[in-house]
Amino acid sequence: MLAALRVLPFLVQLHMRATMEYRGAMILGWIAMAFSYASVYTAIALIVLRFENIGGWVWSEMALLLSFHLLGYSLGAAFSFVQFRQLEDIVRLGTFDTLMVKPISPWAYLAFSGFNIGYAGHITLALPLMTWALTQADVGWNPTLVLYLVGALVSSALITAAIITSIGASALVWVRSRHLYSIYFGFWELARYPLNIFPGIIQAIMVTVMPLAFMSYVPAAVLLDKEVPLLGPAAAPLALAAGPIATILAMLYWRWCIRNYQGAGG
Amino acid sequence: MYAAFAANAFQTRLAYRNQAWSSFFGQLIQVFARIAIWMAVYAGVASVDGITLADMITYAILATAVMGVWDHALLMRDLDVAIKTGDVAVFLLKPLHYPLYLFAAHCGNLAFNTLAVVLPVTLIIGVTYGIQPPASAMHGASFLGFWALSFAIYFLLAMTCGLLAFWLMTAHSLEWFLTGIMALFSGSILPLWFFPPALAAVAQYLPFAWVAYYPTAVYLGKLEPAETGLILAIGLGWAAVLAAGVGLLWSRARHRIVVQGG
Repeated sequence: MLAALRVLPFLVQLHMRATMEYRGAMILGWIAMAFSYASVYTAIALIVLRFENIGGWVWSEMALLLSFHLLGYSLGAAFSFVQFRQLEDIVRLGTFDTLMVKPISPWAYLAFSGFNIGYAGHITLALPLMTWALTQADVGWNPTLVLYLVGALVSSALITAAIITSIGASALVWVRSRHLYSIYFGFWELARYPLNIFPGIIQAIMVTVMPLAFMSYVPAAVLLDKEVPLLGPAAAPLALAAGPIATILAMLYWRWCIRNYQGAGG
Repeated sequence: MYAAFAANAFQTRLAYRNQAWSSFFGQLIQVFARIAIWMAVYAGVASVDGITLADMITYAILATAVMGVWDHALLMRDLDVAIKTGDVAVFLLKPLHYPLYLFAAHCGNLAFNTLAVVLPVTLIIGVTYGIQPPASAMHGASFLGFWALSFAIYFLLAMTCGLLAFWLMTAHSLEWFLTGIMALFSGSILPLWFFPPALAAVAQYLPFAWVAYYPTAVYLGKLEPAETGLILAIGLGWAAVLAAGVGLLWSRARHRIVVQGG
């Protein structure tokens, strides 16, 4: 176990060094991604500024919601998205068998050997936006709230990594799973907006089967002391618990998929 | 020959039905999100600048439909792989024009997405929230013409960015740049009539507006007949300029191909 843990930083370092070989492309990618998100946020800002608010959220509050969404997503996706999106190719080509005989968990190997520094552009955009939003929005700061912010961000990243892992893991049993990311990103887009603007059924889905409300809306609403539909006062602890719960469920599902993995045939 | 490439691309997509289901569901949620936003901001307001909530629901459905009917990422990833693997050289040996081949193949993708994703999504959301009919039969017919022009311009923009990968050796960043530009300037999220005047004054002449904003504005009858003709002429001008740009880029790019090994 300890030996495996010692390998992880080495795997990350290896992948980072390989990525840095194409430094120009990497930096251009960071700029392009940050630009793309900034464009979408500009469109949302123009809506909020034109109509004053969306579902009672003014621009500084929306900026907090969007930055939370982007930061939580990028921290979780750095360990999961590209790696587990390509899992169906790894299964189809039969190379997953080689991961199973390595003296390290296949999940850990995939997650860390593909640790994606491509999300630096996301983080570079999200951090200043969050800092600005937190200075503008009406937040009653105290040490507990600071700890809550950090805990909720970790939980947000865990939810992201857990769902992305679970979708990718489905390829171990059904060979194809990449198409399911379209559904994930559909709900992911909903998580950019206040939950209260959606009908009850969508709100229920977003706090249960696809718990993406916990990656941005719920923690942002708690920080801003806004009422959270369906959850009420339980919202604050649930936002912290959602990440670890999603992680445990994803681990169980991953193990079930590994047990039922039979290869792609051929 | 090119029609066969289009049919082939259509049949290829038909083979991956799960992908079609997921795209359908993903787009359904996306349109749904946009409508929820407009319903939220229009709460208690009958109209803003003469635009009603019913207008905006129809706008959200159609703008997402015309944008969602084709994804530039599909083309740019094809190009990225073809350039990085050297597969693009194979097309030089064939009696075809590579950009035209890609256009034909993506017409097949367009037809598939229209039937499997856009029409069902439009039908479901239209029945649920109500979609306005075109302002008149002429506006409806103009919309179809603008829709065709929208695809042509969108394809040419993506092709221009994709061909630049011959120099940059990666289409990945250009794909993200185009995604960002389209999100704001195509009007797919926010129509140009809600833009600040200074930004709208620039955006209305950029080719991106012909991809989502103008087709939908024409459908809703927000443009005068004479203005519609002028906008169509400018759009055709943009398509011609972009087509010439793609032709020029391709003629330069194919001289840059160096195949190592083999």
